[in-house]
Amino acid sequence: MQQVFYLVQKEFRQVFRSKIMIGILFVAPLIQILVLGNAVTTDVTNLKVVLFDNDRTPMSRELLRRLANSEYFIPIEVEDDYTKLSQYMDRFEANLALAIPGGFQRDVVRKSAPKVQAMVDGLDGNSAGIALGYVAAIVQKYNADIIMMEPGLRNEARAVRQVKLEPRFWFNPNLESRVYIVPGLIAIILTIITVFLTGMGIVREKEIGTLEQLMVTPIRSWQLILGKIIPFAVLGFIEIIIIMVFVYILFGIGVAGSIPLLLFESGIFILTTLGLGIFISTISETQQQALFFAWFFMIFGILLSGFFIPIANMPEVIQWITYLNPLRYFLVILREIYLKGSPLAYLLPETFAMIAFGLAVFTLAVVRFRQRLV
Amino acid sequence: MTDKNAVEVVDLVKRFGTFHAVDTISFTIRQGEIFGLLGANGAGKTTTIRMLCGLLKPTGGKATVAGHDVYREVPKIKKSIGYMSQKFSLYEDLTVKENIEFYGGVYGLEKGQIEEKSTALIRELGLENRSNTLTSSLPIGWKQRLALSTALLHDPEIIFLDEPTGGVDPISRRSFWKLIYDIADAGKTVCVTTHYMDEAEYCNRVCIMYQGRIVELGSPSQLKEKHNLPTMQDIFIQTVDR
Repeated sequence: MQQVFYLVQKEFRQVFRSKIMIGILFVAPLIQILVLGNAVTTDVTNLKVVLFDNDRTPMSRELLRRLANSEYFIPIEVEDDYTKLSQYMDRFEANLALAIPGGFQRDVVRKSAPKVQAMVDGLDGNSAGIALGYVAAIVQKYNADIIMMEPGLRNEARAVRQVKLEPRFWFNPNLESRVYIVPGLIAIILTIITVFLTGMGIVREKEIGTLEQLMVTPIRSWQLILGKIIPFAVLGFIEIIIIMVFVYILFGIGVAGSIPLLLFESGIFILTTLGLGIFISTISETQQQALFFAWFFMIFGILLSGFFIPIANMPEVIQWITYLNPLRYFLVILREIYLKGSPLAYLLPETFAMIAFGLAVFTLAVVRFRQRLV
Repeated sequence: MTDKNAVEVVDLVKRFGTFHAVDTISFTIRQGEIFGLLGANGAGKTTTIRMLCGLLKPTGGKATVAGHDVYREVPKIKKSIGYMSQKFSLYEDLTVKENIEFYGGVYGLEKGQIEEKSTALIRELGLENRSNTLTSSLPIGWKQRLALSTALLHDPEIIFLDEPTGGVDPISRRSFWKLIYDIADAGKTVCVTTHYMDEAEYCNRVCIMYQGRIVELGSPSQLKEKHNLPTMQDIFIQTVDR
């Protein structure tokens, strides 16, 4: 074990001597949290809307007023020419156009199916759907209100008993996507740090020739591997704690569940990433190659984890593939512990999946690493 | 020099696919001898040394290093040899003292021993004032002597040096060879590869390799007599160029 101590000591000396490494470890995560925590959002707001009103009646103006005053929309223009509405979307000046045809108020009063038209920029289908949902909600509320305003309609409306839904969202009452995204950031940053540092750390020694020097010493390969992964595992845990503190200070999001449990699950997860780092070092001769492979694996890992894109939205085949992605399980676990405070008992399937993957990846990597040595 | 053999090689072969990097070579290195492996780039010198150090598994043949078999007793071999390659093997981002401490620790020396050895070593190399500077700031000649000294920390019987003086100025090369002589005087065996023929003259015995085979083997004076040529340079060119 003495040899392992000297290897670990050496690794820490090198890390803390390098300004770049300190930047990667401590400054980069802060920036990532600040930027991603604010930018990665699935909330659809600030939608630019162009309005067209061919009715020019109190009722049509009231509908437009409600739309313009909504927190989700920014009215950019009231256009007089219906044919020009689509041009706003062609030029990316508006996400949405709302047109009220002539005779709108008349139709309302006559109860002959009044209509308004919404045109939505559908390039980003998700956002378009959400935008339309906002419009629908505003129109629905408007419907309910104008019925009550018209004396002739009021009595009819009263005759119909309406069921009113009062939704309450648990764990994230305001449906802020930041609350959902930020715990995932721990997983992303932890993956980046541990995969990169382990992979690059070993390959760098290959490049400068010190790995060969180490291999002619009586050191055993398991000692060499321990000497490489202990420092980066420790740095990984320090990283998690730093991120949790940052996240609490910056966004006020604390851990609802048990922090020791969170660290325990992270420890299992790190097994996979360290294994991947070692594996990458066995297939790369230079640091550039290692960097390329690390990105190659991580892009898939992150995209298929449910961090950006909900897994339920993916095609069925891709959904099966995500079961092979340990990051998928870790994201679920992090969100459960962070936001719901779930105990281990509810996280057993994910935990066992991560243990299985961790052991498999790590064992394969170590076996391959040892074969490569001699 | 004694009659005991430090290294024995019999019909050693290393094949990479269909390429014979080392093709059935045999030689012995006596204890306390400075043995030179000469040859052009790609002649098989480095492959031979790597097999003897346990870095590569031979394809065929037999070899023992310090009495240990290269197939079955690699861990024992590693304890009895020092190795320094053509690539510079110290950590540039560690200080002189930290490098010595690290390699001492990796070779399993006790803490007190490491302390003792590193103080002695730094004094020997005249690095007292620079023991806490980063290794990267040392001139290359000093780096090389430091690398050699760290490869000797565990007091090995046999030292393998793979082109140790590549890219070093003549004066540094001379002081490096002085160090090699000191090592041999202390009873250690030195096996060195080089393509500087003036260095070949410093060896007790040399073997010249060509396309994976040994084409000449003997002391520099024996070879000069045999070929009736004045320098090793001439012999090398004649044997390799035929």
